[in-house]
Formats: sequence, C-alpha cells, structure tokens
Amino acid sequence: MKVKIKSNWTAVASWRWIANDENCGICRMPFDGCCPDCKLPGDDCPLVWGQCSHCFHIHCIVKWLNSQQVHQLCPMCRQEWKFKE
Amino acid sequence: MTNIAQARIKREFKEVVKSDEVAACNITLELVDDKYNELIGKIAGPPDTPYAEGTFCLEIRIPETYPFNPPIVKFLTKIWHPNISSVTGAICLDILKDQWAAAMTLRTVLLSLQALLAAAEPDDPQDAVVAQQYKENYSIFEKTAKHWTAVYAGGPKSCPELDSKITSLKNMGFDENQARAALSSKGWDIERATEYLIN
Repeated sequence: MKVKIKSNWTAVASWRWIANDENCGICRMPFDGCCPDCKLPGDDCPLVWGQCSHCFHIHCIVKWLNSQQVHQLCPMCRQEWKFKE
Repeated sequence: MTNIAQARIKREFKEVVKSDEVAACNITLELVDDKYNELIGKIAGPPDTPYAEGTFCLEIRIPETYPFNPPIVKFLTKIWHPNISSVTGAICLDILKDQWAAAMTLRTVLLSLQALLAAAEPDDPQDAVVAQQYKENYSIFEKTAKHWTAVYAGGPKSCPELDSKITSLKNMGFDENQARAALSSKGWDIERATEYLIN
C-alpha cells in the first residue's frame, strides 16, 4: 500500500534528562529547565555527573568549582569532584 | 543582586514556609523587604538545653555570590553560648565559613544553628569567656544561659537569686545589660563584677 502525505505536517517529540533528582542542588531549578543564566533547556545547558553520581547543570557546577580555592568538592557529598567520563 | 542568588532565595523561601519544621514551630523565615537579600530567621531553643522554650532571632544577609558563598548570619537575640559572641551575636560555625557547600540552604543553616545550641563546641569558641565557664564550671554556665534565655528570648523564669544580684548593681547606677554581662562573666560574684564595671 502506498501512503501519500498531502498536507504539511510537523513532527513533535518530547525529551527529558535522566537524572537521579528533580532539581539542580546548586541553583535549585528543575533539571527539565535550564540554569538561571540560560534561556533554553537542552544541549546549551547540559547536565553533568560527578564520579560520586551527583548531577548538576554544567554552568552551576563550573561556577561552584571556580569559587573553591583549595579543594574542589562535590557540593552535595563533599567528596572530591571528578567529572564522570 | 545577580539572577541566580535572587531566584534561589525565592525558591528556598517557599520551601521553608511549606516545610514540616515551620508547622512544628521549630524554625521560621521572614523577608525583610521584597529584594530577597535580607531575611530574619527564628529558631526555637532545643528541649533539654538551657535554651529550651526560648525563641532566637537571626539576621540573614544574602551575598551577591550566593549560593557559591554562604549567607552572612548572626544572632540578633542575645545569647550565652560558647560559639556565639555574647556581645555581637557573631557565630562560629564551620558551614558558615570554609565548610559551606552550594547544596546547603537557608533551611539546613537554621537547622544546623539549632543543632549548635544543643551541642556546643567549647574548644572552638567564639566567646572565650563563655567557653571557659562552660569547661570549668558547667553548672554556672547552665544557670547563666538559662537566665539569658529567660530575659532575652522569652524563656521560662529561672533563678530569682540572679535577678536580685542584677538589681543590686542597677541600684548602684549601672546599666542593666552591662550589669548582667559583667555578673555573667565573673561567675555572679558581685564584688568582681563591680570591679570589672568600674575599670
């Protein structure tokens, strides 16, 4: 059977981050949204995970790590922060 | 104030207002104005401590760099505690200094301060006079802390003997608060307190 689509059509898809929490522990905004400095959620404001398994907006965790003078610790569990590969 | 600090305080404020601790009257949080950079916190003195049944007010100032730097907190209610200055209300607590982490919130700060009232650290004092009394003569410390809770934090009336000592110094022309501080520092010895006030 041959199907012909006559009129214009728009594809719609939905997506979510798969994180173990609803909100970013640093800015406390939902992970489905973006950090307060960004306008659109998605690839421009991605989430990152540490080896301790805690997850944040990349912009938030980078700001936190830059504000730490001596040790760079996870803001949740205080283990040394290492980005998960 | 930058976007992130204000946005976060707005969310935190709602979080505290809706929390169980507020329902149980353990902690409260009020905004000073609509700018979200100054708040007044209140904590209940923990039961079975000299601060029981008192209400302690805290001044909370939010720096522009919040939550990457801790809120600036001090006691507005006068309190007799080894880790809180009896003069200025300044607090010695690691999470308000180098142990701050961005995931902490005003709610966790207020609960930590409540825990500090229940578990003093006299070896890391903010008020050396209070800390020394705590270590060398705990019963006088306890009596004094209860008295301060009654007078400044609305706690239950404690020891009439202490009130009469303050009255006798007042009758000598000294200011009540200064007389209280001097007596508290000098183990409620009227002679030593008088000497201290004169010098």
